[in-house]
Amino acid sequence: GKNEYDLLVIGGGSGGLACAKEAAQFGRKVAVLDYVEPSPQGTTWGLGGTCVNVGCIPKKLMHQAALLGSALKDAQHYGWNISQPVHHTWSVMAQGVQNYVKSLNWGHRVQLQDKKVKYFNVKGSFSDPHTVRGLTKAGKETVVTADNIVIATGGRPKYPTHIAGALEYGITSDDLFWLKESPGKTLPSFILYVSLECAGFLTGIGLDTTVMMRSIPLRGFDQASHISKKKQICFTTQQQMASLVTEHMESYGTKFLKRCLPTKVEKLKSNRLQVTWKNADLNREENDSFDTVMWAVGRVPDTKTLNLEAVGVKTNSETGKIIVDATEATSVPHIYAVGDITEGRPELTPTAIAAGKLLAQRLFGQSSELMDYDNVPTTVFTPLEYGCVGLSEEAAVQCHGSDNIEVYHAYYKPLEFTVAERDATQCYVKMVCLREREQRILGLHFIGPNAGEVIQGFALGIKCGATYSQLMKTVGIHPTSAEEVTKLHITKRSGLDATVTGC
Amino acid sequence: RGYPEFVRTAQSYHGRPIFALFCGDKDAEGRSWCPDCVTAEPVVRKELHNLPDESVFIYCLVGDRAYWKDPNNEFRRSLKLTGVPTLLKYGTPQKLVEEECFKAELVRMLFTED
Repeated sequence: GKNEYDLLVIGGGSGGLACAKEAAQFGRKVAVLDYVEPSPQGTTWGLGGTCVNVGCIPKKLMHQAALLGSALKDAQHYGWNISQPVHHTWSVMAQGVQNYVKSLNWGHRVQLQDKKVKYFNVKGSFSDPHTVRGLTKAGKETVVTADNIVIATGGRPKYPTHIAGALEYGITSDDLFWLKESPGKTLPSFILYVSLECAGFLTGIGLDTTVMMRSIPLRGFDQASHISKKKQICFTTQQQMASLVTEHMESYGTKFLKRCLPTKVEKLKSNRLQVTWKNADLNREENDSFDTVMWAVGRVPDTKTLNLEAVGVKTNSETGKIIVDATEATSVPHIYAVGDITEGRPELTPTAIAAGKLLAQRLFGQSSELMDYDNVPTTVFTPLEYGCVGLSEEAAVQCHGSDNIEVYHAYYKPLEFTVAERDATQCYVKMVCLREREQRILGLHFIGPNAGEVIQGFALGIKCGATYSQLMKTVGIHPTSAEEVTKLHITKRSGLDATVTGC
Repeated sequence: RGYPEFVRTAQSYHGRPIFALFCGDKDAEGRSWCPDCVTAEPVVRKELHNLPDESVFIYCLVGDRAYWKDPNNEFRRSLKLTGVPTLLKYGTPQKLVEEECFKAELVRMLFTED
């Protein structure tokens, strides 16, 4: 054809790279553009996108650092002679994490080169539906033409610019993982899983951390009210999973400023930051000083500089995300989009990767398989992890009606917590099922250690249409926390006490 | 040749970018016991003209086969080498291992990338 490439991918993250590498497997001529606009604080990083550089990977590693801190505390009960308190050095952890991330950046470079995918470190913008103009950091221009274009530029953290001082003095997750020095006394604000996860590991490594929240934690995750004594089932949109997770964090030292809204951030002579906020409950203004203020108020799609208007790619007016159909096609023929940039899709790495691969297979491999976004399992890596797959209680009720669903639940205590004398009050599992006949499982929610590992296997069961009856025939592995799922028998409807006693 | 000499040499060039190729020892005829090293060496040498200015290229023989096979040898322990040949940019996670060293474009990329 007249175009230089069969496929041009704008954005070298999870979705973009997966799509490009898959297309290259079919012997196609592929190019990838990747460019990281430095954060307001000047942080930048290499190839691989959000997950690799400022998301899942460094997050999970730092979460692990915090868990190891807890394990050291537990170790004494198991006979280890470790002098307390144990101290943590941020720079050692940061260097280890950052080195690993850099090795991933390099690994992607090698893979692209090996698969003959052309890589440009340029910021792309559309000139016409088959032409993209790329600018290097130095301002040098490259023009690339392609038969098919995939937009996979992802998102970046939002800054609450209406709050004075927010932009100049605050950081976001973009910066947190690349800090060379400890963030010290930190205020991650507001509530999204990002701020809970970060607050969780910061507390875990011994830093004084406060989370400021305007309203409810983890909006969008399962929030059905927990009222175990009543005979009736109540599903108002209150915190359940969310509050269990934050309750646990609170008991381990993370401070929460609930129903507070920051009004300004100022720099003090000591170089610390003073944050002023309105406390809605006490109806007064309060302030405190911190070493670091981190904003986690949402992510926005990275479309500003793409020049989408010039080619007519439609975006959602509210979110700014690119509108795609079930084939990941945008409103413009031959232009597609995958990953965080797309409207209505989960902001997750595995879904972006799968969508990118399937898209390449449909474009170049004679496949017609579409991405299945149903029953995607996820996990929030707070100190006590929350993993889930399928419907939340409210979604199930909305879909089927409260009379047609049955919710099983249990509070349990992981065996490892016993000797370590750890509080397990928030360890909880909930399964949402259809009420009739075999009771097909609609959703599973698990709070406890290794929640991600626990949920992964059950995701397959739900994909296959597993029922509560089948679950009851599934023998548990003993002693594990996962087996608590196979032992579920108390329903919310019964109003009985859902606490599990020993075996 | 050998780990202590490598470290001394690298330290003497502190401040400059250092690229190093690690290969198995060569016999009297100049052939290495490591067949992959035999393949990789000419490929790497051919790309040396792409080295950035001011940089240093160190060619290091790690030892005989028995030494290399020991999982606790100094190169494995301190430099985290997993195989020979290894071509790396000292002090960074950027490296090429074994068959990756056969590919001229990868070698060129290692030498010229930021």
